[in-house]
Amino acid sequence: MEKRQHQKATSRNDVFADKITTRIWEEVPSKGNPYIAASHRCHGYDLLELMQQKSYVEMFYLLFRGNLPSSDECQLLEQLMVGLINPGPRHPATRAAMNAGVGKSDPQNVLPIGLIIMGGEHLGAGAVEDAIRFMRKHYKEDPIETAETMLTELAEQRPQEGDWYIAPGFGSHFSGIELMPSQLASVLAKLPGSGSMLEWGERFSSALNKEGMGWLTVGVAAAVFADLGFHPRYGAGLFQLLSAPGLLAHGMEQANKPITAMPFVSDSAYVIDYD
Amino acid sequence: MSSTMTKPDTSLWDQQRNKIVSKKGGWFVGDGIYCHGYDMMDELVGKVSYMQVVMLNATGRLPERHVADWFEAVHICLSWPDSRIWCNHIGALGGTMRASAVASTVAGVLATDSRSYGIKPLKEGVAFIQAAMASLKGGLSVEAIVVNECEKHGGKPYIMGYARPIAKGDERVLAMELVAKNLDFSDGEHLKLAYDIDRELLARFNEGMNINGYMSAFLSDQHFTPEEVYRICATLVASGVSACYVDMRDRPAETFLPLRCDDIDFQGKPHRTL
Repeated sequence: MEKRQHQKATSRNDVFADKITTRIWEEVPSKGNPYIAASHRCHGYDLLELMQQKSYVEMFYLLFRGNLPSSDECQLLEQLMVGLINPGPRHPATRAAMNAGVGKSDPQNVLPIGLIIMGGEHLGAGAVEDAIRFMRKHYKEDPIETAETMLTELAEQRPQEGDWYIAPGFGSHFSGIELMPSQLASVLAKLPGSGSMLEWGERFSSALNKEGMGWLTVGVAAAVFADLGFHPRYGAGLFQLLSAPGLLAHGMEQANKPITAMPFVSDSAYVIDYD
Repeated sequence: MSSTMTKPDTSLWDQQRNKIVSKKGGWFVGDGIYCHGYDMMDELVGKVSYMQVVMLNATGRLPERHVADWFEAVHICLSWPDSRIWCNHIGALGGTMRASAVASTVAGVLATDSRSYGIKPLKEGVAFIQAAMASLKGGLSVEAIVVNECEKHGGKPYIMGYARPIAKGDERVLAMELVAKNLDFSDGEHLKLAYDIDRELLARFNEGMNINGYMSAFLSDQHFTPEEVYRICATLVASGVSACYVDMRDRPAETFLPLRCDDIDFQGKPHRTL
């Protein structure tokens, strides 16, 4: 092996910030102890005032967007939060939380375990950013024409088995049209706070119905986040936040049960097939 | 075919209900534990290294011992106990917060699913050198490969695996060259190309190959795909994160880089009332 000459490792002397900066939260130091804050402010508003005068949803919006929402925006976000509060006990992320619970994992790990799995790109948080970007890119087009074009041009990509996600946030699920996302979207689209993304998505979804596809939950969430002005990159985390209560509830429900309370596939139903 | 007109075909899922078909292995009580066709207790335990089993599980192939030993060595190169490193920093924060060793280490490992450091750039590095090899075999010169890649980044030498962030030069390349030599590896075609790219970049930009570039080329010569390298390296930084966790867990709480209120530079809206 040839002996090589290498550069000696030297620092590039990159200039890093002296301090962490933030536009979100200000902690005003107390007089006697610089580590103790006398007051907390969120985007300029005193936390105690917010606590007494604003709802959790208003505070949630303020935290991310920098200003308080209008009543229409607040209503739209709140209804989405209710709609997405629980992915349900069949969802892989919920099942991960339930497995952690019944396995007696430390309670503080139950939610993170569920959230990590919820980060998946298959109908999870990992799909939301792309769905937001997809709708932001296409919402000025005629959704019917866009759907027809995609159905024609992408027809060869339809998988031989399993579902087809023709566009981020849209497709089939278990070979059929998901009903709940369509119902959620239908309700949300009628709200005064809904905007062009949700409207466009409704029409795009309808155009896909004839091919057995439609809204997926991540698509509905993405449309609302986009209509509320959230940056696409926030989509994944917001989706995780909104689904967190259900993950935790189901996980903790199992935590008080014996480890035999959930199925353990029998040896006869466990097959090794190395191909 | 319109699925509104016909009954949806759910057979793909129906076939998987209430059973597991594993392509990897399993445990049958009283019979044995199987892993990719091997009886784990009889054929693997005490006979192969832990890293060989890690690679077996990640790729489905049991590598030769010296390949696994090389991989183990590179794990040492890529995780060291400096709590300024981003993933390690998270481990240290877990220690100062009294999170568990498992949770803190996992949190640090999770951070390496990153666009800027950790395992994903390694995957990109392997993909780059394999694409570069295809270009070379297609008739492109090393110079053209470098120019084309730099053009994607405004003419700057931002090639995955070269021009190390934070520092110039990479002491880990030399260390791994010695490991490879001691394990009787010779340079393969990808590694030779990587050195040619290194020379071209040094001449043009005074920037060279980093450990990512060396590792990517070496592993390409060992016929690993980018995804296989990513999977083998899933917990690459675990030991360094654990070290930084332990360092802070064994000290008083919240003594890892404690922040006074004025240590945060608030640049947002001034105080306002509702």
